[in-house]
Amino acid sequence: MRFRRTLFVLALMAAKPTLGGAQSILSGAGLGIPVDAVDARSRALGGVGIGLQGEAILPGDPAASARLVMGTVMMTAEPSWVSYGRSDTNESGSFRGTRFPLVGVAYPAFGVGVITFSFESVLDQRYSAANGVTVNVADKLLAATDSFTSTGGVSQVRLGFARALNRSVSVGISVGRYGGSLVRRFTRTFNDSIASGSLGQFQDGGYWTYTGTEVTAGASADLGNVAHLAASGTWSGNLEAKASSDTKGSSASYALPFQLRLGATGVLAPGLALNVGLTRADWSRTDKGLSEGRSAGSTLTWGGGIELSRARLLGRSAPLRFGYRHADLPFSLTGSKPVETAWTGGLGLVLRQAQTLTHEALTQASVDLSFERGKRTDGPISESFKRMSLTLRLTGF
Amino acid sequence: MNRTKNLTVAVMLAVAAAACTQQDPTSVDNALLPEQPVTTELTFPWSDFASNVAVYGGYGVPPELGTGVVAKAFDGELDARTLVRFATYPLSAVVQDSLGTTLTDYDLTFHGGRVVAFFDTVASEVPGPVTLDLGVLHTNWDVRTASWSMAVDTVGGQEAWPEPGAGPAESFTTAVWDPSAGDSAVFVLDSAQALAWQAQDSVTDSTTVVQGARLSLLTPGARLKLTSVALRLDTRSSLNPDTALVLTVGRTDLTFVYTPAPAPPTDGMRVGGVPAWRTVFDVNVPTTLSSPPTLCAAVKCPVKLNSSQVTYAALVLHTKKEDPAFQPSDSVALDVRPVFDPTALPKAPLGSSLIATGLGRRLSASLFDTGDGTAVEVPITEWVQAVIADTTKTGPRTLALLSAFEPNDISYASFYGPDSPFAPSLRMVITAGPAVEHP
Repeated sequence: MRFRRTLFVLALMAAKPTLGGAQSILSGAGLGIPVDAVDARSRALGGVGIGLQGEAILPGDPAASARLVMGTVMMTAEPSWVSYGRSDTNESGSFRGTRFPLVGVAYPAFGVGVITFSFESVLDQRYSAANGVTVNVADKLLAATDSFTSTGGVSQVRLGFARALNRSVSVGISVGRYGGSLVRRFTRTFNDSIASGSLGQFQDGGYWTYTGTEVTAGASADLGNVAHLAASGTWSGNLEAKASSDTKGSSASYALPFQLRLGATGVLAPGLALNVGLTRADWSRTDKGLSEGRSAGSTLTWGGGIELSRARLLGRSAPLRFGYRHADLPFSLTGSKPVETAWTGGLGLVLRQAQTLTHEALTQASVDLSFERGKRTDGPISESFKRMSLTLRLTGF
Repeated sequence: MNRTKNLTVAVMLAVAAAACTQQDPTSVDNALLPEQPVTTELTFPWSDFASNVAVYGGYGVPPELGTGVVAKAFDGELDARTLVRFATYPLSAVVQDSLGTTLTDYDLTFHGGRVVAFFDTVASEVPGPVTLDLGVLHTNWDVRTASWSMAVDTVGGQEAWPEPGAGPAESFTTAVWDPSAGDSAVFVLDSAQALAWQAQDSVTDSTTVVQGARLSLLTPGARLKLTSVALRLDTRSSLNPDTALVLTVGRTDLTFVYTPAPAPPTDGMRVGGVPAWRTVFDVNVPTTLSSPPTLCAAVKCPVKLNSSQVTYAALVLHTKKEDPAFQPSDSVALDVRPVFDPTALPKAPLGSSLIATGLGRRLSASLFDTGDGTAVEVPITEWVQAVIADTTKTGPRTLALLSAFEPNDISYASFYGPDSPFAPSLRMVITAGPAVEHP
């Protein structure tokens, strides 16, 4: 059993967050669409990944892991199904994909705190576009298809430290390093041929790798058993996009905003808690590094939900969660202010539980699941999506 | 309980995996595409991309074709005769005797026969029924070097025909071929004639030795392509005299001789024929462009081309009606290949075909007659892309125009040369645009 668990942990640690499948056409706007590196519990509660009761590995809440007593590893997968449309062009379509926005490991170290290590998705830049064109060659109109694919995005690896200062106050700090890459490729395919031969494909593109540094610091406090408060801030240096030597396009540098997060959970009744949270960031300073015609604005993300922690399933604790979330998106395709809203819900399932030496319950293996149904709008563009988040967590290795 | 838990997790993972089939969001929104590139056509005259044209002949010999040609005063000048050597006569045959027993008969009697000549009805230039002559040769000839005037023309020895045109030949019989009636002509042989080519293996008297057969055309104004010749022997079995057998004797050698031999072109390009012609020239692929304005409006000129920007490149040649006697009567497969070592010409090794199919660019025979001056394109896109991509080598590259199957036919294809108003040119379609930038 222990061997199998170790194998599973190693497999999780070998994984890294990927933007395996894009989840919005708005990935083509500006630097892409931000990916919230949160777990399924936060998703189900409509939260922004801060201010939840209990221990967790949440990059936006570095103090949340301060009270972990054993090594913990977790991974989140997010499949989603999206349909989109444009009211001005009557264009519509659908797509689906899965991404793995967060893989985290935490380990109590030297009796002074908890060290965390995580891989996260930051910005999703994966999308494609195609358009039929007519090209005049030798006084003959040839049909061609222009297509463009953008593959990749910004990811991050983060090393953190969290410490409980006393029974109610915890603090945490993490240092992250941006990574990831972007491949942008334009292709013109001629559908018609001329004279004795067909026209070859024209391709152009580039490859950029990302670097940059960010620091997140936060603190949380329990107000007795009735409330939990948390706040964190993230400072980022410039995000550098370095073009490869064979890329004709130039390198770029973007200023990333300071992000402020606030969250709180209040116990409304035994087994019933309310969580709320918000994130504020001013992306307008990123605007300067963007190509002409792209713009960025300030964003406010807020959400909240209730958790029924005494619910049981299959004889085990299976907390039920419901929530709502509203998020401004920083980059627009149309110049308007894009927004994402979603109703959320989900449940947790404890797969294995043990008792600590102090006879407290210790969850050794659990699964959290969330479902979201929401929409994104950006001027005439609208997307409706269904998104599932699945977080697997193992403790005690 | 464990089973239930496992099942629950498995279902959850299955749902997650179900979405793993990726479908990227694809939009037709122009705002999501980078600035459009420009596709433009450029035509480079001969002087801007090529030089040093040369025509070489002598590749291959007629017996490599495996077919023959007979002609008489075709277009007033071309005469051609086909020479053939038959294989050894059969020494035995399997027959049934009067009791129905299958036995091998080693005592065969040949009492007559036929020489059957098969013709290519499409490739033959024949106005109507024609008369052919079948004769027996008594002069030794070498299948690889025989020509109109020489029976043997090897390094070790040379022997001229006693009469030019593979003569003399002892005429045996004649036959009429009507192309509207079939594809073959039959020369009927009596019992003595049927044995003529049996003697070629046994008779040692050099004055009477038989050296194969010669087929010639008696009717002027035609050129026939002979695809095959066979000797069929009427045979009687000693085991069962009532059984009539027809045994076929194949051929060991087949070639043809013709006159006049075409002279090299003074200006122009030539491919095909037998021995075959090749046209070789140097090519300087344009790598930097300063026009046209539409291109320069999209990218900063002068623009240094990269291989992906060349979406099409083709040699543009103009067909030429030249000597009607050697004018193609069937489609021509034109090939173009790089010359690896131009200093070794005319024996320089050639690279692989630049024609994608490897079967050459098919050109209709009429393009070299009524279609004189028609522009034909030979796509060489991938080669041009490779030349542009190869920055390690500078200077011109050498290309050879030739028949895809060499030799292929007595006829050859001609194209106007660089000094003509219909000089070859290089047509390129370039697609270029601003660099794809980071968002």
